[in-house]
Amino acid sequence: MPTITLERGRFSHFVGRDLSVQEMVKWLPWLGTDTEEVGADYVKIEYNPNRVDFCSYSGVARAYRGLMGWETGIPTFTLKQGNITLRVDKSVAEVRPYVVSAVVRDLDIDYDVIRELMEMQEALHWMIGRDRKKASIGVHNLDSVKPPFSYITCAPDEIKFVPLDKKELMTPQEVLEKHEKGIAYKSEVDWASRYPLIVDSNGDILSFPPIINGELTRVVEDTKNLFIDVTGTELNAISRSLNVLVTALADMGAKVESVPVEYFDRILVTPDLTPQKMRLHTVYSNERLGLNFSDAETIEALLKSRLGAKQAAAGVVDVRIPAYRTDILHEIDLVEDVAIGYGYYNLTPTKPVTVTIGKQHKFNLVAGDVRQIMVGLGFVEALNFVLANEFDHYQKMRRKPEGLVILANPVSTEYSIIRNDLLPSLIKNLADSKHHVFPQRMFEVSDVIILNPDTETGTERKIHAAAVTSHPTANFTEIKSFLDSLLMNLCFKNVTTKETNHPSFLEGRAATVSLGDIEVGLVGEIHPEVLNNFDLENPTGAFEIDLQKIIDVKK
Amino acid sequence: MPELRENEQKTLLALEKLKGRASVEQIAKTAGLAHAAVMRAFLTLTENKLTRTHEKKQTIIMLNTEGESYASIGLPERRLLNAMVNLGGETKVNVAVEEAGLEKQFISVALGWLNRKGWATIEQGNLKSLKEPQQGDDEKLLKLLSEKGSLVVEELDQEFGKAVTVLKGRKLVETEEKTIRELELTDDGWNLVNKGIQVQEEISQLTPELIRTGNWRNVKLRKFNVEAPGPEVLLGKIHPAQQIIQEIREIFLEMGFTEIRGSIVQTAFWNFDALFQPQDHPARDMVDTFYLSKPNKGKLPDKKNVEAVACTHENGGTTGSRGWEYSWSPEEAKRLLLRTHTTAETIRYLSEHNEPPVKVFSVDRVYRNEKLDYKHLAEFHQIEGIIMDKKVTLRDLMGTLTEFYYKLGLEKVQFWPSYFPYTEPSMQSTVYVPELNSWVELCGMGIFRPEVLAPFGVKHPVLAWGGGLERLILLKLGLEDIRMLYKNDLGWIRRTPICQR
Repeated sequence: MPTITLERGRFSHFVGRDLSVQEMVKWLPWLGTDTEEVGADYVKIEYNPNRVDFCSYSGVARAYRGLMGWETGIPTFTLKQGNITLRVDKSVAEVRPYVVSAVVRDLDIDYDVIRELMEMQEALHWMIGRDRKKASIGVHNLDSVKPPFSYITCAPDEIKFVPLDKKELMTPQEVLEKHEKGIAYKSEVDWASRYPLIVDSNGDILSFPPIINGELTRVVEDTKNLFIDVTGTELNAISRSLNVLVTALADMGAKVESVPVEYFDRILVTPDLTPQKMRLHTVYSNERLGLNFSDAETIEALLKSRLGAKQAAAGVVDVRIPAYRTDILHEIDLVEDVAIGYGYYNLTPTKPVTVTIGKQHKFNLVAGDVRQIMVGLGFVEALNFVLANEFDHYQKMRRKPEGLVILANPVSTEYSIIRNDLLPSLIKNLADSKHHVFPQRMFEVSDVIILNPDTETGTERKIHAAAVTSHPTANFTEIKSFLDSLLMNLCFKNVTTKETNHPSFLEGRAATVSLGDIEVGLVGEIHPEVLNNFDLENPTGAFEIDLQKIIDVKK
Repeated sequence: MPELRENEQKTLLALEKLKGRASVEQIAKTAGLAHAAVMRAFLTLTENKLTRTHEKKQTIIMLNTEGESYASIGLPERRLLNAMVNLGGETKVNVAVEEAGLEKQFISVALGWLNRKGWATIEQGNLKSLKEPQQGDDEKLLKLLSEKGSLVVEELDQEFGKAVTVLKGRKLVETEEKTIRELELTDDGWNLVNKGIQVQEEISQLTPELIRTGNWRNVKLRKFNVEAPGPEVLLGKIHPAQQIIQEIREIFLEMGFTEIRGSIVQTAFWNFDALFQPQDHPARDMVDTFYLSKPNKGKLPDKKNVEAVACTHENGGTTGSRGWEYSWSPEEAKRLLLRTHTTAETIRYLSEHNEPPVKVFSVDRVYRNEKLDYKHLAEFHQIEGIIMDKKVTLRDLMGTLTEFYYKLGLEKVQFWPSYFPYTEPSMQSTVYVPELNSWVELCGMGIFRPEVLAPFGVKHPVLAWGGGLERLILLKLGLEDIRMLYKNDLGWIRRTPICQR
């Protein structure tokens, strides 16, 4: 989740009132933010990625003023028509097709502003830009270059420029190979035959998007005027990023100027700060929230959420959405803004009247029976992960891995497959519990996942029951008695056991368990080599059965 | 007169034999009882004023290694004197030392003590013996200690008093303080003993034999110490996490919810796409979600549903939403993964049951591609409940949660605005935990977005809430490290009480 640290004095300045840290802590959460950290003179908040406008002090301050009722309705921004143009070369379509731009003048830039600019860019890159893939922003010192500008492409080693934070000239190719940002983001362009560039009328390089700006246009503390470019793969995403950025800068006192962006087939004048229009039906809002608001009350709440709101007809409100609000997709999003404007703290709980009769899932009914029986037999329940690894589940169990469900991106060697039986997990539990009092008896009734090409997911989730008994005199007879008791109490009838060979069990002390003529499980004495593999010292009896058959007969 | 038990009777008799007063050790030996048995008997006897106790301090003295060596070869001054005598009574120091075979480091000790004991004079390197002395008390004590191993200082003859101090000063002995407990018969005790005690054999285990034959009437059954802890027994037990899962399931069932249980492996379609999560959403990244390599692709449901989902993503479809404005890929939706939330199953259930009312829940396994540490697991459980009905509202959701928490013993709840990709409006709830004296975030909730419901023909609002089970378990068990929960350490499970709170 993105965060922003609001220093009290600076935030008070943007809100326009002297706030205390206590007030900030009290009210900010009602905008949907989480208080992360409270200092003597700052509050660090976490905000939700839908509210990209909270990436700046001015963005949070706008919403804060509305919530407190100090300033309501849609904020207005002055956009001067500019004449600095940005020409878009046709060739960019192959690599990074879109660009929008703005000119920002008379910004008082100090250390705080530079830091905030950088933090806003980071936040927008992450939230809208999908880590620069969809949108990336370049902010330049306008006075160090000569308009008009062009968005062009070049061959990877065609030109040289000094990238930000470096002293030597590099070709775009060298930037991708040597510069930290080049290495980090090269996958965005290195597949293309020509790389994107933004250049001025002298051919000097402002930026190699989305990788790095040139050192030439670095913004420093006495920079006054900015040229902003946002490039990307989706026009809507880059336009929204630009809108969030320039509205924040406007609130910081700068004058925003539009830039005609000349594509080969059209001219886009950006940024476009025209509010988006939407309708809210009061009944819809009331039905979702459980309120009984009049149109006027609904409008008042919307205004406090900093939206434009006017009655269109009885029960219908015309809503205007400011350009920095990128999160409103549907009328339902306006409903939430009614609730936030009204204040979640004013909402009181009510009880729904829906009457239904509860019902357990039959898998869990059967699992509950197994638990009752096994606990009665003196076994302790284990609850293991379904995530497992081949070494414990196969090699140590003296088995060949087969029919495995395998993870594509395991986080550690500990968890790389999905288990298809329970016993190895239980044997491992015994190994982890060696220092405790014997006899040790454990069971698990839980999930396994097997391959099944007939299902939607190519796999099937099943429920098994397994148990182990481990102590100096454990043997086949003992575990068989436990199994018999379990099956009898589960109403398993026509159960037969038949000698079998299984690598995890001792020869002559292992059997398959069948229900009629369907095999449902295994019982036996664990092979001493398996015990050695797990560093266990006591004879161990074990069984595992598939519960599907009894589940099938449950209602 | 109280009824005396066998060991108490034996203790009294032993004391009588030992003339009314003796140490615990002596009594134990005489009575043929264990030390602890005498102590227990004695406590009862003293309570009944039949005996009293005397405690006395004893100092045990014994030789250390150096002392033992002197005991066998003699003190250095004695060795030097013997050498002088052999050499005629008067000699050079170095000659006498050589004759005595005295080690260098002992020369000054020997000379010092010769002088202090007045055995010899030293003038200008010449030694002259003054007398042939008797064995001193220090030497006698050394010998005695060597023979006996250890002695009680308080029991030594008076003349040894000084010798003890000397040997202690020369660091040849070690001493140890000990409290000796002596028991003595009181007048009542003597009276009882004089009347004569008949020791009656006691039986600790009542047997079927005794019961059947009626012989239990003729034996004395020993009283048990009813206050002592019993030896440990091992019980079968349900896993602590499962206990809490059961508790939560019961709450849902009491509230009229039906339990659902779906596949752990899901297609990205049900886990993400059906919940209106755009295909480039960061939560879908490999760094957050476990994908499968074998098998790696699943099947998509009905073409009608898939197309409706695709349109909703691309342009909002029939919902009036603007959608996510990108080109939706069916291939991406077929990818198999371990579900990141149980909501994957919830939306599937709704797609099959779109007539109101619906109230379903699950407490089940979910996954996040995360490194394990004390706070994070890659596999854990999600609690989830939904209500779909004609007229349900956000405030109803708050009411449902309040009830749910109340049943869990959490009485103070607050609701805050929040954000989840598939609900709008959304809320976060915090509950007050008295044990921690603080507010803790538990369940998130909201109303399913129209973009989620419309493709599956759900026409009524769906209230949904969910949260991590483990957080609740940690709160209830007071656990610090979440990994303990699924380590299945037998000792931990055995000693974690079934009844929490």
